[in-house]
Amino acid sequence: MSLAFRLFSVSYTFVFMALALFVLTVGILGRKIRWGYLGVFAGGAVVIQWLSMGVSMILYIAGAGDAAAESPLFDIACYTLTAWFLGWLLYRAFRLPLWHTVTAAVLGNFIILTTSSVMTEALDAYSPLFDRQHFLVFVRFYIPYTLCLAVACLASFLLRKSEFYRYFSALFRSRARAVLTLAVSYILMCTLPVLRIVSPDTAPDAKYAMFFFALIVVGMFLIQFAAMYTAGQDKIRTQEETILQQQAHMELLEELQQEIRAFRHDFTNLFSGLTLQAQEGDLAGIQDFMRKTSSYFDDKLGSEIAQMDCLNNIGLYPLRSLLATKLAKMRQMRMKAVLEVLYPVKDHPGMDTEDLLRAAGILLDNAIEAAPDQDGLVRIVLLQEEKQLFLAVANNYSSKPDMAALNRKGYTTKGRGHGTGLSSYRKIISRYRGCAMRTYLKDSMFVQELFIPVR
Amino acid sequence: MIPVYICDDEKPVREKLERIIADQIMILDNDMGPVRALEDPEILLRRQREDTVPAIYFLDIDFPGQISGLTLAQKLREYDPRGFIVFITAHGDLAFETFRLRLEALDYIVKGDTASMTLRVQKCLESIQERMKAQRPGQGNYCTIKILDTVRHIPIESILYFEAVGRRHTLLLHLDQELLEFNSSLEHFAESLGEDFWRCHRSYLVNRARIRAVHLKEQTVEMDNGETCLLSRKAKSEYQMRK
Repeated sequence: MSLAFRLFSVSYTFVFMALALFVLTVGILGRKIRWGYLGVFAGGAVVIQWLSMGVSMILYIAGAGDAAAESPLFDIACYTLTAWFLGWLLYRAFRLPLWHTVTAAVLGNFIILTTSSVMTEALDAYSPLFDRQHFLVFVRFYIPYTLCLAVACLASFLLRKSEFYRYFSALFRSRARAVLTLAVSYILMCTLPVLRIVSPDTAPDAKYAMFFFALIVVGMFLIQFAAMYTAGQDKIRTQEETILQQQAHMELLEELQQEIRAFRHDFTNLFSGLTLQAQEGDLAGIQDFMRKTSSYFDDKLGSEIAQMDCLNNIGLYPLRSLLATKLAKMRQMRMKAVLEVLYPVKDHPGMDTEDLLRAAGILLDNAIEAAPDQDGLVRIVLLQEEKQLFLAVANNYSSKPDMAALNRKGYTTKGRGHGTGLSSYRKIISRYRGCAMRTYLKDSMFVQELFIPVR
Repeated sequence: MIPVYICDDEKPVREKLERIIADQIMILDNDMGPVRALEDPEILLRRQREDTVPAIYFLDIDFPGQISGLTLAQKLREYDPRGFIVFITAHGDLAFETFRLRLEALDYIVKGDTASMTLRVQKCLESIQERMKAQRPGQGNYCTIKILDTVRHIPIESILYFEAVGRRHTLLLHLDQELLEFNSSLEHFAESLGEDFWRCHRSYLVNRARIRAVHLKEQTVEMDNGETCLLSRKAKSEYQMRK
């Protein structure tokens, strides 16, 4: 066998492993494949594998002995490096949190490694052996790794179709959970090399393959179960929140109804007076009455109806109910709230709904908190434009906020324990490219503006 | 002279407003005018380019079958970012906050009896006059910043410093009473703003005119509002060389 053929064969397996790993990890993350990043990763992964091979070769030549040169620690280091690299690449590509992408890469690595080893063993065991070395190479390398890529594509497709990412991201709701998930995935990835340390003499056979197959199934099952469980918990919580928000909305409607009833009562009385005047032909009196009552309806119900209209303009339901809740809260606190949504807001902003809700929630909470207890005023503007969504939250204040200090982490006007909101708000926004924000004082109002480009 | 435009599709309103504004300009005796009353927003957009800016615009909110007052104002703003926009509306319950924040509209006038409209116009013109006076000193350079499709012209003297944050080419611009965060690079501004600004650190670009003190020992630059920026070793030696 020529050296070129050998090198080509080894590279072939490396490239296919890398491709399979990328495809599968993207599948776990539920995104579409970005070809540019795929190319970069394939190149990088091959380099990493050659490097680790080179290092082990140098050790071997340097006379450190077989044991050191073929240590499974090399594999572990190599896998870890690859996983980090892939995680980082995907973090750049999809702007997901680094936690998610690295864990997905580690998990993908585990599955691909196990699959490839199982494939190799299986083909080794069940294919007829010939003396021709080329054919052996074909059976041992080309077919299993090609199959591996096929399996990865299939798995990736299935994962994306079943929206696995929704469950997967539920595993990262809290820091402890995220660490646990990453640790478990990492341990799974390292099983293969560690097993080789523990019992170096295990002969690969069908049973061995079965064991790993079972390991994949159990591992995946556990992760899926954990993910579904946490997702279920989250769902229950969001449903409870939605119910609360709807209750707030119902209260607003009831209030409106009460006012309409009172208004009707008033109006009947006013009209009976008017009828009398009309019968007597008192034109001046009627004109006087018209002038007085023309704005009566607007004064009484105008603001509530306008607010309802504005809420109805928001096509993004979670955002609508968030605003309804906050408006209800402000009404309870006897704070004046004005909402303006001039045009219908489409339900496709350039930001994940969850992040949009968190960002808007922080701005609203800050405004409510900073507005004075007496005569508090909060104005909310949501404007859908051709290329962007504009959100502004303005509040009045009792003591002028220090703009120079605002930038500092944990700045607050309300004593300790407050002021964490703004820094996490900035962190959320900084994840999205093209978003801009503006904070300023104008006409004794503190204004926070957010521009979100439309996708 | 600051040109004044009135754009409304109802002829009586247009004429009434034209009369009121012309009277008020005469009473206030300031350099506003000529007053042009137009029906078609398209013509307004064309006429705007033929005369000087900044200008004063009285715009109807709704043009039936044509562009909305908001879009018209946005188009006018593109060419005249420092102009004064006043809206004319038939109802009092106008969503004015949107116009005020998004377009920095000055005020609105409710169509109605002459007396109340006159009062409102007078108030608007007075406030414009005041603002023009306030702008006069230091009237000089502006820094142009494009955020999505909005262009802003920021007076150089109100800029404290630029700060690069994070890894995603995000800039935080510190102004008097304002913070602005957007995507851009320090290099871009360092180049376009020239010698008036000093790159005192890899992630800071400060306005020389706004520096209060340079603390060599603490390696910080203190601005005249008390904010501090970092001073890099390279900039420090550069600073000492110049002295």
